[in-house]
Amino acid sequence: MPDPGRPGDRRTGAHLVAAALRQEMLRDASIVVFGEDVAKLGGVFGATRGLARQFGDRRVFDTPVSETAFLGMAVGAAQAGLRPVTELMFVDFLGVCFDQILNQLAKNTYMSGGRLQVPVVLRTAVGCIGSAAQHSQVLSATFAHIPGLKVFYPGSPGDLQGLLVAAIRDDNPVVFLEHKWLLKTRLSELPFNDAQPEDSEIQPSPLGQVRCLREGTDITIVTAGYMAQLALIAASDLEQDGISANVIDLRTLVPLDREGLARAARGAPFLLVLDDDYQAYGMSGEVMATIVEQLGRDAPLMSRHAVDVPIPAAAVLEAEVVPSVSSIKQAARALVKE
Amino acid sequence: MTDEELLKIYEQMWRLRRFEEEAGRAVVSGEIHGEMHLGIGHEAVGAMLSLHLQERDAVVSTHRSHLHALAAGVDPVELAAEILERDGLNHGKGGHMHLFDPEARFMCTGIVGAGVPIACGYALSQSMHAQGGLTVSVMGDGTMNQGAVFETMNLTAVRGLPVVFLCEDNQYSISVHRSDSTAGELHRRGEAFGIPGFACDGTDVEQTAETLGKAFDITRNQRRPSLVVTSVYRFRGHYEGDLDLYRPAREKEEAARTLDPLLKLRERLLAIQTPEAQLERAEN
Repeated sequence: MPDPGRPGDRRTGAHLVAAALRQEMLRDASIVVFGEDVAKLGGVFGATRGLARQFGDRRVFDTPVSETAFLGMAVGAAQAGLRPVTELMFVDFLGVCFDQILNQLAKNTYMSGGRLQVPVVLRTAVGCIGSAAQHSQVLSATFAHIPGLKVFYPGSPGDLQGLLVAAIRDDNPVVFLEHKWLLKTRLSELPFNDAQPEDSEIQPSPLGQVRCLREGTDITIVTAGYMAQLALIAASDLEQDGISANVIDLRTLVPLDREGLARAARGAPFLLVLDDDYQAYGMSGEVMATIVEQLGRDAPLMSRHAVDVPIPAAAVLEAEVVPSVSSIKQAARALVKE
Repeated sequence: MTDEELLKIYEQMWRLRRFEEEAGRAVVSGEIHGEMHLGIGHEAVGAMLSLHLQERDAVVSTHRSHLHALAAGVDPVELAAEILERDGLNHGKGGHMHLFDPEARFMCTGIVGAGVPIACGYALSQSMHAQGGLTVSVMGDGTMNQGAVFETMNLTAVRGLPVVFLCEDNQYSISVHRSDSTAGELHRRGEAFGIPGFACDGTDVEQTAETLGKAFDITRNQRRPSLVVTSVYRFRGHYEGDLDLYRPAREKEEAARTLDPLLKLRERLLAIQTPEAQLERAEN
């Protein structure tokens, strides 16, 4: 069950990521960190701050603005025995290096008949904090669609650390989606803060296990990433209206906990899938199909709330498109009152 | 090179050609149902690559990679089995365009240009060890027009990574002649990055050996990238079954007379009085 947010926790998600990387780099000398602005600047969101100073240029270094080259370098380095953690500054830059992800990173283990491991962690910042259509996407389903990639989308500070540690220790390629609000927000300001105290050892989070962040009986909200935090705020507001909402965090999109999802879906007669990635052919459809496959006629009545257009620049337009606490409540009410 | 060494290389190059000819036959017989790209005409480069490769070196190659795999020391039987879509090197999951041998530090990829950044990753790993070896990034002349190559040249130069960029320029990217697709001189494409570049006749064994030697020396000893462009001729179509109507018959006939590395080496061996009987033994 949820921990209450700890007042006075001035750390942000970016601090947590840096701390997890530091812990793992101290443990394993084969871990190298590279990407754009990760060394001297410590990442545009500060998630690699201090690592270059501590570990030196051989293990933490800035790359040219050449995503294809350095993602390919990560693939080759992993195949040659290193464990690269590479940063794609914004997930939106995926387009400039997609072949290395789609055809190399995801497939080489399979195509080698299992003779090669490609333990790359591709960390990338996702989600909308302003800046329009080319710097606000999530693209989680784009990765999750490709066989051979694991896709982690942490929604809580604890998972930001625990899933990152799990990603680094995984022998397979992992795409690690860091929501910008989770990176930027002080932990004390989050509705759900499960981060461990600063100096405690970070344990890996389990993979393929959904987590119930809040129990309720009228509607189940299934989500992932930062939307889980918004869903919790929406759920406490809905409570005032007499709607009791269950909030389920998927945590890892691949592997997806299909049984756990079906179990959770039994808990209420309605189910809303909430996603800040695009709706079409995406996570919301996958979740609904999974529940129908598992529960058949016992499936709850379902709907979804996701993004289905490019993200506009103007704040007022953005608010129309990106799920917010109020739009989540609206979607939940509409479903329950249907 | 001594006469004996040349004769040995001649024998080795025939083995490479026979390997490719057998792969071609397996396409005709239906044993191979996928695309097949043969390196017939590229044997001198393959053989000279094996001459210069050392224990810890890695090779990342292309869709036309069999000769490089053999040069890197991949087991020929395992390799043939994978190419023949059986339980070979990669249990039939990869096939001829996606060969992976972690022990021999060899891999290839079917996407033009994609192997070049990956080679840079092998070199990154090598750069972290004192005697880490070097990585050969093989590409064709068509690959040289991929942005990934320029990105990787820059990255290897700025980080001081031991990559030998080895281009087999067979003049054609599928059907398009180099003159219609490629500006400037290929071996000078590293100049702006401070990467020394060399060009040679890749159908001439001794020239190829010498030129590769220069590049390998720079990369191995100075721990920085180098570029070699070898000019060769592709004696088969882009793939087996290619009607190959884009190349004039006269050009192909001329190439068969003047650009076949095996014929050229045979003539060289005859000129240094190698007995015919020894040549025939090497050919069979």
